[in-house]
Amino acid sequence: MAKTLEFRGIGKSFPGVRALDNVNFKAEGGKVLALLGENGAGKSTLLKILSGDQPASEGEILVDDKVTAFHSPHDAQAAGISVIYQERQLMPSLSVMENLFAGALPKGKLGLVDKNELYAETQKIISEFGLDIDPAEEVGRLSIANQQMVEIMKAYRRDSDIIAYDEPTAPLSEKEIELMFKVIEKQKAAGKAIIYVSHRMNEIFRITDEIVVLKDGRQVTTLQTKETSEAELIKSMVGRDIGDTYSNLRRNTPTDDVILEVRNLSTPKVKNVSFQIHKGEIVGLAGLVGAGRTEVARALFGADPITGGEILIEGKPVRFRSPREAIDAGVALCPEDRKEQGLVMYRSIADNVAMPVVNYLKKGLGFVDRGQAATLAERAVADYAIKTPTIFKLVAELSGGNQQKVILGRWTSEKVKTRLLLLDEPTKGIDVGTKAEIYQKICDLAREGIGVLFISSELTEVINLADRIYVMRGGSISGCLPRAEATEENVLTLAMADETGDAGKRKEGRA
Amino acid sequence: MKQQDSFFQKRIKPIIQHKVFTLVCLYIAMVLIFTVWAALRGTSFLKVAIFRNILNSLVVSSFLTMGAGCLLIAGHLDLSQAAIGAFGSMVLASAIKGWGLPWFLGVIIALALCAVFGALNALLVSKLHFPSFIGTLAMASMVKGLMYLFSSLGNNGIASNINFVDKTVTFIGTGAVGGIPVGVIIMLIFFIIYGLIISKSTFGMKVTLMGGSPVAATLAGINANTIMLILFINSAVMGGVAGIFNAARLSQGALNALTTNQFTGLTAAILGGISFGGGVGGMGGAFVGLLILNTFQIGMGIVGVNPFWVNVFSGLLLLIALSFDFLAQQRQKRSLAH
Repeated sequence: MAKTLEFRGIGKSFPGVRALDNVNFKAEGGKVLALLGENGAGKSTLLKILSGDQPASEGEILVDDKVTAFHSPHDAQAAGISVIYQERQLMPSLSVMENLFAGALPKGKLGLVDKNELYAETQKIISEFGLDIDPAEEVGRLSIANQQMVEIMKAYRRDSDIIAYDEPTAPLSEKEIELMFKVIEKQKAAGKAIIYVSHRMNEIFRITDEIVVLKDGRQVTTLQTKETSEAELIKSMVGRDIGDTYSNLRRNTPTDDVILEVRNLSTPKVKNVSFQIHKGEIVGLAGLVGAGRTEVARALFGADPITGGEILIEGKPVRFRSPREAIDAGVALCPEDRKEQGLVMYRSIADNVAMPVVNYLKKGLGFVDRGQAATLAERAVADYAIKTPTIFKLVAELSGGNQQKVILGRWTSEKVKTRLLLLDEPTKGIDVGTKAEIYQKICDLAREGIGVLFISSELTEVINLADRIYVMRGGSISGCLPRAEATEENVLTLAMADETGDAGKRKEGRA
Repeated sequence: MKQQDSFFQKRIKPIIQHKVFTLVCLYIAMVLIFTVWAALRGTSFLKVAIFRNILNSLVVSSFLTMGAGCLLIAGHLDLSQAAIGAFGSMVLASAIKGWGLPWFLGVIIALALCAVFGALNALLVSKLHFPSFIGTLAMASMVKGLMYLFSSLGNNGIASNINFVDKTVTFIGTGAVGGIPVGVIIMLIFFIIYGLIISKSTFGMKVTLMGGSPVAATLAGINANTIMLILFINSAVMGGVAGIFNAARLSQGALNALTTNQFTGLTAAILGGISFGGGVGGMGGAFVGLLILNTFQIGMGIVGVNPFWVNVFSGLLLLIALSFDFLAQQRQKRSLAH
């Protein structure tokens, strides 16, 4: 019993912005339809309309050829539609089973919740997914990847006929992505209509049948996945030919001078990590989500306490007690969670750029030198081609890519003197065009002699950008791959292998 | 034509859009209403003496507002402020009466003690990670207990208020220069200084950024713990200043000093547009907020509304102000949701 979903002439206007304009397409049951477009192209808005979160300004949605109107997320769910958002909508202090069955808890005697049945039903779904999660575990205690899987299971549990995934793989590692793809295949076989939003080309080619490309709120084209190519897709998304992103980069050349040396670094979540970064070198840090990559970066930045080991910057041992001390020593961090940790969202670009150097922007009596702050921000906007009418715009109003550029601009202003740049998932959720710009900037910074630590879950990106890759697994480094040996297969082997497996041999390759 | 446009855009528009502008409009409207209302009742409201009265009534609460407001901008609360201030007033009174010290030494000792309590608050919140609501609530109880113990020393174990006589202190509390009460002059000077610190200084910038996102601010090199220490000490010391003014007006260190003002500081700050979540607002708004609150109460008294009802209406006023704040936040979020 295949369902169909059709958008007919959908438009959406916000004050001063035309977010969607005349979008028409049909998602058929038993097929996966990809929704592709740069950030700000209107994908999220379309999903919000589908989920009943926001009304469309014009046009209609048809489910099984019948016009359907949603006034709330509840209406949409009742019509058999589930949308899995990028931002997880879970209750962290409740258990996995309570989250899965919220609103449909099985009742036993006296109208109380039947915990046994709840547990069993949840276990059944978890097993179908092939995951190893305890149904009674508090969701907030799960890894981010598993939380995302819970979100996906929630939609699966509702057994909706139309399921939309909004960049579901962003927080997942390869292993979970595989599991999730199997679930999608199963849903597809069951005749469900699936809409899949992602920036990752390999995923789109792997699981989708049809691709709708959006640009600036308009539908550019609709293509059959089998009949198109990555180059064609990128071209229609950005509206120009950006060629092969990586081969066009002006590359850096690593020097022999060591900027950072880490010896047996340990924290509560990291064990005996040792590695080096040279001046002008981009060092990749790969591994599954939860392997301890973020924790290494945070420890180097003085954000988390260190329990053992040594950090040397240009040969001098350092031990930072706060990010402030790290910044003063020339270390900078672009944190994983841009919105929560990187930026003060409801403040201007100028304020966000000035943050680490507020103390140096003094003029007499401790007043802020606004002129100097403006100069810094203007330069960041120019250097990174940040799309904004003024430096006084709130960063919350910028797209994800431009927000990341603000953070980069902050760390590379002339007042900070960054020598070592720690980038934690710097391109997460950023569109292809802006990604290419950021890659070039990272290379440019390395060319200036800055050492870069590049953490990313997107394998193609680490492999193509890094001069060397360290791979982490379970809080330790499991190996190091020089650029020549960096293939997806090699990285994954190190990221997932057992202690005694291939990883043992690889360790010899460590620089 | 174009130049006019840009002049309007640059100079006038920001003023109109500023929160304080709305508050000032609200205030003017309130004054007009009371003027008409009072006239209908056969009395008058729009008189210099009444406004001097209103300003004078702000003094004690104003210091609480400045302390609580700065802290609230950084995203924290201090529920122990009034208790600490009352303790300060007791210390000042016994320094003058019991220990025979000159008044300024009494003030220094009182404020130093307040600062210690403030530092302890900061420690509870920044090092032991208590939510400021809980940490300072516990502190309020402890400070109150200590104050009673202190006042019962050498007094057969019975806690009591301490009366004192000091000409200078009484002058600061009740005197006037050129017809303007000394307290009002000091209050206005403090407001200007605090306003400049919050809106123009590098420290103020760090405070608002930290209020906007403590995690992001820390990771960008703003030392949140140092700022919290300064602000909690400031809040306690300002509580002490309020306590001292209270004592100076009554010539008495009172055990229940500031109990009626306990939440006035916080209320005025919120009414004045300092967002409860932190990161937004300034001292100008806090001042107007306080002005609105007290003008409302005094105006209601003049037109002869039952004082019990006045309390009810004050609460409603706060609710209305908060819902405006809430709606504005919702609108901002929605307009950014696409």
